[in-house]
Amino acid sequence: MKKIKLKRTIREGCVNFYRNGWLSVATVIILATSLFIISMTVLIGITGKFVLKNIEEKVSVAVYFNPDVGEEEIFDIKSKLEKFTEIKSVNYISREQALSELNELEKDNSSIRQALEEIGENPLLASLVINASKTEYYDIISKAIANSNFSDRISRINYEQNKVIIERLANIITLVEKVGLALGVMFVFLAVLITFNTIRITIYSHRQEFEVMRLVGASNIYVEMPFVVEGVLYGISAGFISLAMIFLTAKYISVITYKVIFQGGLMDYYLGHFWIIAGILLVSGMALGVVSSFIAIRKYLKV
Amino acid sequence: MIIFEKVSKIYPPDFTALSDVDLIIEEGEFISIVGQTGAGKSTLLKLIYAEEQPTSGRVYFKNRPIDGIKRRLLPYFRRNIGTVFQDFKLLPNKTVFENVAYALEVAGDTNEEIASKVPKVLEIVGISRKSNAYPVQLSGGEKQKVSLARALVHHPSVLIADEPTGNLDPISAAEIVDLLLKINGLGTTVILATHNKNIVDKINRRVITVDCGKIVRDQKKGKYLI
Repeated sequence: MKKIKLKRTIREGCVNFYRNGWLSVATVIILATSLFIISMTVLIGITGKFVLKNIEEKVSVAVYFNPDVGEEEIFDIKSKLEKFTEIKSVNYISREQALSELNELEKDNSSIRQALEEIGENPLLASLVINASKTEYYDIISKAIANSNFSDRISRINYEQNKVIIERLANIITLVEKVGLALGVMFVFLAVLITFNTIRITIYSHRQEFEVMRLVGASNIYVEMPFVVEGVLYGISAGFISLAMIFLTAKYISVITYKVIFQGGLMDYYLGHFWIIAGILLVSGMALGVVSSFIAIRKYLKV
Repeated sequence: MIIFEKVSKIYPPDFTALSDVDLIIEEGEFISIVGQTGAGKSTLLKLIYAEEQPTSGRVYFKNRPIDGIKRRLLPYFRRNIGTVFQDFKLLPNKTVFENVAYALEVAGDTNEEIASKVPKVLEIVGISRKSNAYPVQLSGGEKQKVSLARALVHHPSVLIADEPTGNLDPISAAEIVDLLLKINGLGTTVILATHNKNIVDKINRRVITVDCGKIVRDQKKGKYLI
């Protein structure tokens, strides 16, 4: 295609986009909504995982040692435990540390302080706080420790009391992942279908013009190009609009998520990945617009 | 210039639109094709601008066979022919000027050429003052003038007019016929399909009568005789 014709078809696409008025606006809104739904599915999925990850990290199993077990022996056990791949981290909490943490936590609770004063000595036990690399490993780890050769050194393992919560969390994570994926796939499919049909209807309303254009000697590519350019414009406009829609939603949702997780939420993720999100939205918007236009127009041009 | 050689056109499943038609159209002629609705007039014209392909026989344009022309080459061939229709076939989103300019744009004319040719042809058909109007703002007669201007702007050797006055009042129809005669006077071959008796009688040129897919009469200076 000659340069002059290419320039003309691009200009024609832009002029059509403007002159189609409400038809263009409606198409852009539908495309933007589709992109918004897809992005929100992905972003909420990411935030959801983030929230669960956060809770997961707060879950741990503590192994309390008998008062006669020395620090050296505990460190020895700690280094043994750290060798397991299922275990992410092991932290030693000494009796003194446990007491100061309790004091700090319950500084306003006079009855506990009174009780501690009456006992006269530190009643707390030294412990190893174990974080597993996955929630489902806690069961194996606690059983392994209970059956180990140092089990006689252990006063108690608090796994049993956390067991129900830990198992429930593991189930929730698995369920959220599955449902999120299924919903995501469904939304993406619906959004693509709706966009494609909207653009097809837009082009369908112009189908009689194709005949006229061909009658006055326009080649197929000359007829197609302006519609492809229009598709690009739909995509770019929809990309920007959906970007703004996500910004507003993220801002609103963040207010809620901040209450659950303190070190970040949807808004932080949005701002942190702004350029990637903007790029993906614009490119996928344009791709959707162009591919839909191209397929629809080929149908009506009968080529 | 245009030759039909034993041309038949059968639309599936078995409707015969044209049957064994032989016809020679010379350069510079003004031909009126008359006949009732469904007689085969439009099919005859469609075979000339290669919108349809003959089922059998051959159609030549300037000694070249155009039956079976490749779709890819069709746009280039169409630039030799101007077409005008009863329903005007204007592009609704374009102004009068842009509608006419479109025929030159697709052929790759420069912007300077377009800026010089379009006003001239709008002047010839007498629609210059509506240059910036959209089709929806025009009367039927004005629309047909724009359609005529678009058909002429690239100086085609043949102008095909399929019932161009069908949707027009008598005064507008007379204006269009006068323009067709004027165009023919400038050397363009004009092929007009119509069933308007007054128009054919007024033109008083070669008349081809089509009935049931056959040419039943070919008069050098004819009248509408059905």
